[in-house]
Amino acid sequence: MIELRNVHKAFTVKDKKNRKPKRIEAVRGISFSVKPGEIYGLLGPNGAGKSTTLRMIASLMLPDQGSIQVCGMDTKAEPEGVRGKLAFLSTDMSVYDRFTPREILRLFGEFQGVEPLTAERRGLHLMDRFGMGDFADVKVDGFSSGQKQKLSIARALLHDPKVVIFDEPTTGLDVLTAKTVLDLLRIMRDEGRTVIVSTHVMPMVEKICDRVGIIFDGQLHGDAPPRELLQRFNVGTLDEVFFQLANGKEA
Amino acid sequence: MRGTWLIFRKEMLEFSKDRKTVFFTFILPLILYPTIFTMMTKLAKGDSDKQKGRPSRVVLIDPTSAIRPLLQKGTKEFELVEAPEGDLKKALLDQKLDLILDVDPEAAAKLARQETFTLTTQVDESERASELALKRLKKALESQNQAWVKARLESAHASSMLAEPAKLVEQNASDKAREMGKIMGAWLPYLLIIVMYAGAMQHGAYVTAGEKERGTLLSLLSTRLSRKSIIYGKLLMVFTVGLGSAVASLAGWFLGFASLSKEIASSTQAAASTAPQVSAMANLANPANLLLALFLVIPMGLLFSAIIVLLGTQARNTREATMSMTPGIFIVMMLGMFSSAPGVEKMAALPWVPILNVSLSIRKLFGEQFVAWEYTLALGMTIVLAAAAVALATKLLDREEALFKV
Repeated sequence: MIELRNVHKAFTVKDKKNRKPKRIEAVRGISFSVKPGEIYGLLGPNGAGKSTTLRMIASLMLPDQGSIQVCGMDTKAEPEGVRGKLAFLSTDMSVYDRFTPREILRLFGEFQGVEPLTAERRGLHLMDRFGMGDFADVKVDGFSSGQKQKLSIARALLHDPKVVIFDEPTTGLDVLTAKTVLDLLRIMRDEGRTVIVSTHVMPMVEKICDRVGIIFDGQLHGDAPPRELLQRFNVGTLDEVFFQLANGKEA
Repeated sequence: MRGTWLIFRKEMLEFSKDRKTVFFTFILPLILYPTIFTMMTKLAKGDSDKQKGRPSRVVLIDPTSAIRPLLQKGTKEFELVEAPEGDLKKALLDQKLDLILDVDPEAAAKLARQETFTLTTQVDESERASELALKRLKKALESQNQAWVKARLESAHASSMLAEPAKLVEQNASDKAREMGKIMGAWLPYLLIIVMYAGAMQHGAYVTAGEKERGTLLSLLSTRLSRKSIIYGKLLMVFTVGLGSAVASLAGWFLGFASLSKEIASSTQAAASTAPQVSAMANLANPANLLLALFLVIPMGLLFSAIIVLLGTQARNTREATMSMTPGIFIVMMLGMFSSAPGVEKMAALPWVPILNVSLSIRKLFGEQFVAWEYTLALGMTIVLAAAAVALATKLLDREEALFKV
């Protein structure tokens, strides 16, 4: 279970013109919750506050105001406990080039408090599903970006997390592997895990998400199942919902 | 604690995967320094032997032949050559000759009248051969002068002691080993400081800003490990590699010095002449001295590592990190050079200056001038500074602005 209550987050940046610090509010009073056995899609244009929100849920950043609860734990009070329960994957992440997948899985297993052999077994099982079983002992250095993304997914999930947060999970993947990842997300939902996905691929959202939240300017606009959002905006696709929200903002 | 160990192990494992870096950090100094020392000694010795083995080429302008017999007597040391055509000075600079000796045209008459006559030399001081020629001439002239003075005194029925009212007898209270120890002790801290900082710097940038740049830091941060354990683990790795590279460089330096001593022993000089070097090396390798030096080096290494990790994590990428760390190497170089300068150890304020007091204590330790209060002060001050630097680094690195600055 994930619950965000009136979450705010601002950053201080240096204004290059007058060289004075400038405060930018990335997230402004976001509240929503995601139940176990649910896939929640977080949508929004670049710079809307999606990544900051996801990082705050993963306890990588702390909210300035408001609170976030993950599996009953407050991200401010128990950040390590929260990270032990969740898997976080974003496009900014990469894997260690000098290691082999087997070594990475063992190391990260230990980081997550899982027996190295168990972590290796779980990770290699996932790599097998992604068609990378033969690459367990090959140095990551020569991997393609897609292969690295598959390994990142296996690495993120090796500690059997209760909450899964994937930022653009299918980026760089071929159609077949992308489908495997989406199937995996569905399986995880069916197993009762809480899943949050952030993406720009609208058809994917319509296909797998039980509920969708759209972020614009650090605020949440619409938090409902995809079908309900389409009806509310009286449009045929989520792309059109997006355009309407953008136009509304401009107006 | 376990998290720190896990990160440290991961960093060391990653480091060991890069064989080139391992080679350059730990193996190369063991090969490079002995090779350089041996080559330099052989070159210097070869040149010196070559110079000593051949007579100095002298153009003698001595119309009255007052000096000629003196230079012809020791035919092995001087070769009187005909003045080449053209500019004599140019011939000297072109190394066609080693010395021009112009003797007073009235030298013989003045000598007979028991007056003073002048000899004017022209040498190229930038050339060893020319320098050696002058040295040989001075030596030959000194004994000839003594003979002339003695003859003049005898002709005046005076005692030869008139020319030498006092005779200086020089005795060195310090033994050669002590002198060598002082020289080596002066350079040891300089090497230690530079190598520790440089070694830590290379890998510090890789494990901090490099991880950010490669996108792997975020995957570490997203595990259940605490930020502090990640920072401590990296700090420990930077410290270990810095210390390791310093030890490897020192070992290389010792090996180099050992080969240098061997080279000297195998030369024409007696083997006994290497005894001071061997004795000085034994003093440097004294376990008690090494242990005391290690106690000083550990907090200093931690201080450097904390500064490097701090700078590395504040940077956006490896290039920026290296740029921010580079001025540090010039600072430590200057500190090292200052601390190895002669006479510096006598400055009263030096034991109170951080880093320099470590250098001073190590220098005195190996120069057999150990001062307990200075050592304790240096150790205490460095421990406090290292603890403060580690605390500051941990505090600043725990900030989101530092960790997500990309």
